[in-house]
Amino acid sequence: MRNISSFFRSVVKALAFITVFSLGVTTFAQAQDVKAGEALFKANCTTCHKLNARLVGPALAGVNDRHDAEWLHKWIKNSQAMVQAGDEKAVALFNEYKSVMTPFPTLKDDDITNILAYIKAEGDKKPDAAAGGAGGATGAAAANDNVSSFMLVGLIVVIALAFLVIVVLNRVIRTLEKVILKNKDLKVDDEEEDGKPGKDYAGRLKKLAKNKKLVFFAVLMVGGLLTSLGWKDLWNVGVHTNYQPVQPIKFSHQLHAGVNQIECQYCHSGAFKSKNASIPSANICMNCHKGVTGSEQYGGETSPEIAKIYRALDWDPKTQAYGNNPKPIEWVRIHNLPDFAYFNHSQHVSVAGVKCQTCHGPVETMETVYQYSPLTMKWCVNCHQVTEVNHKDNAYYDQLIAAHDKLKKGEKVTAAMLGGLECGKCHY
Amino acid sequence: MSKIRLLGTLCTAVAFVAMAASCGDNKTESTGWEYARNMYDPIGFNPDQPNPNFKNGLTAQVPPEHTTPVGFVRFEYANTLEGYEKAGVELKNPLIRNAQHLEQGAKLFKAFCFPCHGPEGKGNGPITQDRTLTTSKGSRKLENFPPPPSYSTGNSSRGGAMKDLTDGKIYHTITYGVGLMGSHASQLSPEERWKVVMYVHELQKK
Repeated sequence: MRNISSFFRSVVKALAFITVFSLGVTTFAQAQDVKAGEALFKANCTTCHKLNARLVGPALAGVNDRHDAEWLHKWIKNSQAMVQAGDEKAVALFNEYKSVMTPFPTLKDDDITNILAYIKAEGDKKPDAAAGGAGGATGAAAANDNVSSFMLVGLIVVIALAFLVIVVLNRVIRTLEKVILKNKDLKVDDEEEDGKPGKDYAGRLKKLAKNKKLVFFAVLMVGGLLTSLGWKDLWNVGVHTNYQPVQPIKFSHQLHAGVNQIECQYCHSGAFKSKNASIPSANICMNCHKGVTGSEQYGGETSPEIAKIYRALDWDPKTQAYGNNPKPIEWVRIHNLPDFAYFNHSQHVSVAGVKCQTCHGPVETMETVYQYSPLTMKWCVNCHQVTEVNHKDNAYYDQLIAAHDKLKKGEKVTAAMLGGLECGKCHY
Repeated sequence: MSKIRLLGTLCTAVAFVAMAASCGDNKTESTGWEYARNMYDPIGFNPDQPNPNFKNGLTAQVPPEHTTPVGFVRFEYANTLEGYEKAGVELKNPLIRNAQHLEQGAKLFKAFCFPCHGPEGKGNGPITQDRTLTTSKGSRKLENFPPPPSYSTGNSSRGGAMKDLTDGKIYHTITYGVGLMGSHASQLSPEERWKVVMYVHELQKK
């Protein structure tokens, strides 16, 4: 009996050990799966897939429930072969998303298993992530509150200070009144003569008004002040320096041109080749914002500012398709040169090599753009007086110098040689 | 006492002025005084202005269907896998490969491709990296754009290695976009696209 029970005990011990050990190994292996899967997922899948939203391809959270593992392995390795073979699910997917998924023949079975494990693990986490996002949004709101509360405290401090000043002045007035009352006894005659203090002021004013020199001086001073103020204001008529209108979308140049290091030309591609720097059409926004929705800041929802682009284009992020009711975004023009002055961007940017910041200021640091330069004629002329012309590799100046050489040699130079036959010389 | 009232009003006024002055940052939402505004506004319509003469209210109209604007070069290959493969076989860069074109291609690459593809096309552009935005409202981390495959070591989403992509395939991709990459046809003229293609071939070797 004892033998049997000890044998039984050792068997149980061994079994328990094996179970614990194998459990440990499997959890360890699973952790490995997810981590390796994450790296693979980010390297291979994120270009077209998000976990919780449709992008180029479907949202991947829950994909393990929608299809079995064997099917997924086949699909990831070569989806097009499955479509051509007429697999029902494959054809349905291809028809729905209308794009071919990249074949990944180089991924091993283990790799695919790891990726699927990562998708499963992340997909289950979804509610947590959303809560985190909401937390972030409230955090941002709290920051906003901080700003306004700071202003509120400032306001209260200023009012309290003003009140304090009033109280102190009150005290001073009271003591002064006491002094006056003391003096009253000595100068009763004066009071009888002047009557009430109000009348006293009027009387003094009348006396002062009779002093012609003083009146002349006062009028001169007031006149001078008004003239100088008016002069300054008149010079600024039509000058819009520091003009910072509210735009329909809170687009931050600091974020896009500064932090993201996207060159001005990416959006304002006209600056290098045409008269207008051009305001980008919304399709250029969509080059990035098809994927970038700022949703992690707004608890999984699209950022309200980015949603304005989607509305303007009638783009449905859920189906990733454009509707047929687009409405243009009505940006407010900031830099407005009078129509009687000709200005050409490409001439300044491409030919002269002037940096955008020379005229537009540090736009890459501006949260909201404002007009940096006055854009007055004086401002233009000041720059033109000191800027040296770079005539190297410029056909226009080559032609000009060649014409001068001809003139020096005494050769005939016709108007046509100087571009006199160009259409725009007459028909501009 | 009228004196007290007067002094009180004065103090409050001073306090308000001081507050108003300390709040502003010298920026204004108004254009200020203007004289002869009509001299600022163009007589003709600028392309980005509203226009009551058209039904949809826009000045920049889309050309009528089946017409080709003067100087516009049509791209005859469809935005499909077949079109892509066909362009890959048939299209060749019409520009001569020289230093000047390569230099211009590099400049265009810096402006239009670098934000995602990175300085050498390795798929490590600034918007794919971790970055923090610090504004007056505090600072926050920005979401990373999914990195595109490297020109030299990555695999194309339409099969084959990125380093083996031909003239036509790269041109097709710039024109129509693929996956998360949008069409860059409105930003780059056909000639500029070919300059970029030329430069991308340089990066495929890196």
